[in-house]
Amino acid sequence: MEEARAAFLAVDGDASYISGGQSLVPALAMRLQAPAVLVDLSGIADLRGVELQGETLRIGALTRHADALTHPLIARHAPLLNAAAPFVAHPAIRNRGTLGGSVSLADPASEFPAMMLAMGAQMEIFGEDGFRRVPADDYFIDLYQTALEPGDILTALYVPSVGPHHRWAFDELARRRGDYAMVGAGILAHMDGALVESARIALFSVGSTPVRAPGAEAALAGRLLDAKTIADAQRALDDDLDPPDDEHIPAAMRRHLARVLLGRLLQRLGETP
Amino acid sequence: MTLTINGHPTDAAPRAGQCLRTFLRDQGWFGVKKGCDTGDCGACTVHVDGEPVHSCIFPAFRAKGREVRTIEGMRGADGLHPVQEAFIAAQGFQCGFCTPGMVMTTAALTQGQRADLPIALKGNICRCSGYRAVEDAVHGIAHTEQAPQDAPSCGVSLPDPANHAVVTGAVRYTMDVPVDDAAHLKILRSPHPHARIRAIDASGAYDVPGVIAVLTHADAPQACFSSARHEVSKDDPDDLRILDDVVRFVGQRVAAVVAESEGAAEEGCRRIKVDYEILPAVFDPEAAMAPGAPILHHKDPATSRIGAPERNVVGEVHGMLGDVEAGFAEADAIYEGNYASQRIQHGHLETLGSIGWLEADGTLSLRTSSQVPFLVRNALADVLSLDPALVRVACGRVGGGFGAKQEMLTEDIVALAVLKTGRKVKHEFTREEQFTAATCRHPVRVRVMLGARRDGTLTAMQIRVVSDAGAYGNHSVGTLFHGCNEVLQLYRCPNKKVDGFAAYTNTLPSGAFRGYGLSQTVFAMESALDELARTIGVDPFELRRLNVVRPGDAMRAYSDHPHDVEFGSYGLDQCLDLVEAALARDESVPPDGAEWATGQGMAAAMIDTIPPRGHFSDARVRLTEDGAFELTVGTVEFGNGTSTVHRQIAASVLATTPDKIRLVQGDTTQLGHDTGAFGSTGIVVAGLATERAARAMAERLLAEAAGAAGVAPEACHLEDGAVRAGATAVPLSALAAQAGGTITVEGHSTGSPRSVAFNVHGFKVAVNRGTGELRILKSVQAADAGRVLNPMQCRGQVEGGVAQALGAAMSENLRIGPDGVVETPNFRSYLMPRFVDIPRTEVLFADTYDRLGPFGAKSMSESPFNPVAPALANAVRDATGVRLTHPPFAPDTVHAALAASGAACE
Repeated sequence: MEEARAAFLAVDGDASYISGGQSLVPALAMRLQAPAVLVDLSGIADLRGVELQGETLRIGALTRHADALTHPLIARHAPLLNAAAPFVAHPAIRNRGTLGGSVSLADPASEFPAMMLAMGAQMEIFGEDGFRRVPADDYFIDLYQTALEPGDILTALYVPSVGPHHRWAFDELARRRGDYAMVGAGILAHMDGALVESARIALFSVGSTPVRAPGAEAALAGRLLDAKTIADAQRALDDDLDPPDDEHIPAAMRRHLARVLLGRLLQRLGETP
Repeated sequence: MTLTINGHPTDAAPRAGQCLRTFLRDQGWFGVKKGCDTGDCGACTVHVDGEPVHSCIFPAFRAKGREVRTIEGMRGADGLHPVQEAFIAAQGFQCGFCTPGMVMTTAALTQGQRADLPIALKGNICRCSGYRAVEDAVHGIAHTEQAPQDAPSCGVSLPDPANHAVVTGAVRYTMDVPVDDAAHLKILRSPHPHARIRAIDASGAYDVPGVIAVLTHADAPQACFSSARHEVSKDDPDDLRILDDVVRFVGQRVAAVVAESEGAAEEGCRRIKVDYEILPAVFDPEAAMAPGAPILHHKDPATSRIGAPERNVVGEVHGMLGDVEAGFAEADAIYEGNYASQRIQHGHLETLGSIGWLEADGTLSLRTSSQVPFLVRNALADVLSLDPALVRVACGRVGGGFGAKQEMLTEDIVALAVLKTGRKVKHEFTREEQFTAATCRHPVRVRVMLGARRDGTLTAMQIRVVSDAGAYGNHSVGTLFHGCNEVLQLYRCPNKKVDGFAAYTNTLPSGAFRGYGLSQTVFAMESALDELARTIGVDPFELRRLNVVRPGDAMRAYSDHPHDVEFGSYGLDQCLDLVEAALARDESVPPDGAEWATGQGMAAAMIDTIPPRGHFSDARVRLTEDGAFELTVGTVEFGNGTSTVHRQIAASVLATTPDKIRLVQGDTTQLGHDTGAFGSTGIVVAGLATERAARAMAERLLAEAAGAAGVAPEACHLEDGAVRAGATAVPLSALAAQAGGTITVEGHSTGSPRSVAFNVHGFKVAVNRGTGELRILKSVQAADAGRVLNPMQCRGQVEGGVAQALGAAMSENLRIGPDGVVETPNFRSYLMPRFVDIPRTEVLFADTYDRLGPFGAKSMSESPFNPVAPALANAVRDATGVRLTHPPFAPDTVHAALAASGAACE
């Protein structure tokens, strides 16, 4: 990792780390980026592997999208990743794309970064002062801007393992099935029967970063998950969002779709035993 | 680095930044196809250590030490891979360009993934088939039939003769030839929508190692031409130069750099300095025609044949039958509405491109991706002042066309570069260039006014059409006339009026697109008729039955000029009945929930089977010394299936099986003339020439045999491989020997008289009033294709047309921003349908026999597209009460329309 950092910094930052390359190489092909140097991270063993460390799942940054679908530890301990994975690109891309790459890029329309927020994950970063961990809530800063400084390497994702009282749901609304979402969301709730003790809700494609919904979360906390609670959460969601008013999807439309989607997900949460 | 490719140990060094796709193609593995450069289409899918990846976004250096398998490596010691066999049996392709990727993806699917193809095939785009044939291939469902030994093969679902080559990656498309000795050409394109070039400083480009030449307007002939290709080249305005000193849209050529590598050519482009004088630009066709608008083409209308350059009008059409004022006066109900169809791209997976070189005898030779090689040859000779006999244009298999390749968009600049440098030159569009520098369907606004009596009889039809030509005229006049023709010709109404305009704007030039102007007007007219039917309370099927033309009626659109269109056969009545019955018997279950609204809709369309004013084909049949037949046609195969059907036609006449007929096609040196495969003519024109050549051969063989056996020709008949003359069978090889070695005959067709074909589409839909999601519950199309010569292929044409039209109706939109820049330059932002988006369409054929077409056939290439969008809009109207007038009907558009009329729900 030291060597990779040195290579990156040696060209004054005119470099890109390459992990799976499934976003970077298209950007190169479109001539949107033309770094002097690509620094290949794929040979760094420490970036690999998925292991349970106590109550936390350590997911190496080079873990592939395809593994989010198939790895038993991810399915068991970080089921939101498992639920989101089928919506991410398509099989050939998932065979190469990595979770670390996706979270590093932090595309606000992308599923995995938002799930870091929903799961309350921590990002392990190797930088100038060695390793540090940044909670997801502090990690996403602005459009494609994260806590990663130039030369920093995202090394692993630390995800709190779900317990028997957790329930989760994921879905998105797209213009064309499988496309970039117009709105997407994941929910991870701690429940006692129908009672919501706490919930984390993260949405994507609603702003310049993945967005948490503290208002909607508060509307759920300590309440029975019934029609009234769902309606209250939907109402509260409005204050959580400040979607862009782009010419193709007006802000009001995104707000509306987000409400519809939240309603669907909470409905589903109530139905799962 | 070393790696294994298809079992072959390989030692080769990738270039810095090279992707695996180009690296593999450099090694000669041409089965790896380029569709997009960005991992969106799947055509380049290969296996790396057994896993499918998109090789275009896989860095080549990462293949080090790995095992790479391409389509060429799928074949085992004991034959084809089962998935290859399945794609042959189902004919899971049309042009076949996506097939290597489809096969590689399918071969790696798990059982679970096979059960969920909408997700598993999300990464593989097919533009031709509509995916039904792909799905059947994945599931091992067979459709191809064997040629009968003792009966004509017309009417049988014979497979594409290239099927084996397609599924093994052996078939050669335009760029699938080694180009080690070629120079590469890249284009510097205009960043401005309208500018005059004051000066170009190319010295920086020449500093780049490997740059051979920079071409600018100073190198280009002064003569203007049209990129559109037609039999009569003067049909289209001469407003384009190979390189011009005025640029009129963002993306127009400014200069071309020829270099030893693509990289050097591209770097050369970046180093060119251009001094532009920015000119005012106009992006809206109505604004362009208004007084004071910036003028795009200061040209003489007499020589350029631009309709009214001072008003930016490329061409206009005005006509009236009867008296529409009187017609509206006697109407009990009048409907008026405005509709607009958007800009869409053809999306053929093989991008445009050509390779040119000089032969030893000085002939300029081009290998190109074209639907019209003969017309390209003529145009090159014209523009570059060359002897047509010293220009050769030939095609490999072409990876999709849809009208896009009825243009000359790469050949001219390649030819110029070859002549300037003396080098072999290759120029291949990127996918981005396909969106920013090729052509698109004309955006068209239509105002429709209809009048009808209480009983549903139409009393007046009037349309005003404004078509956005973009910066150059090319097909604008042709599409305008065509777009105003059959849409009205379909209805027997005494009073009709048309006012149509095609106007220049500083945007991407529009061009020929499947349907050739009709899809936009049919959308408007068939939507309007649906509203009219609702107003007067007549069922939409009944409204059509009351008003459509029938044999015996004059076919008139907006003038009484004599024409050569006849009812070769008539199956519209059957089409209406078939679709109505299919919708009635449909038992699809709408989704649960009060937010879903369901409804059904239909629309009809008519098309002349051949473009007007002559469409010519030569065909030649040669009996070779060994007694085999060789059929030469001009038509190129681009997924339209003509190579299959031409052989079926010839075999049916010559009493043999199609596999005994060798086909030579798409090469200007092999034949006199062929206008080309556009306007749906592959079967009805070139096929007719084929039939005539085959009949001439049959006649000749009977005469030869009669002479040899000393009997009357009437006593002879053809058998497979011989002519039966009385008691003896004279082998064909003997007849060839008797005639001096070979026998050669020709056939010709002129594209006149023409017939008409019909398509009727029906949908049942569910619309989510909360999200605007539109779900198709049932899709059915009935087609009058005359006698269907190859049911499997014709079904594929219909399904593919429906799928492409659904893309246009539901998701595709080539957006241009306020600065004239294309905002959707890739498949990630330009949303072509994938497997998941396309429902299965029930395809039904009317039972008719066209007396004008070969073996009773009509055209069926473009027309399935035309009734789809209005049928869908009519179904949404039925479900929700909301009339959609501006496709695409994406969820956000639909929801906005529902919300605006109070039909949405929370």
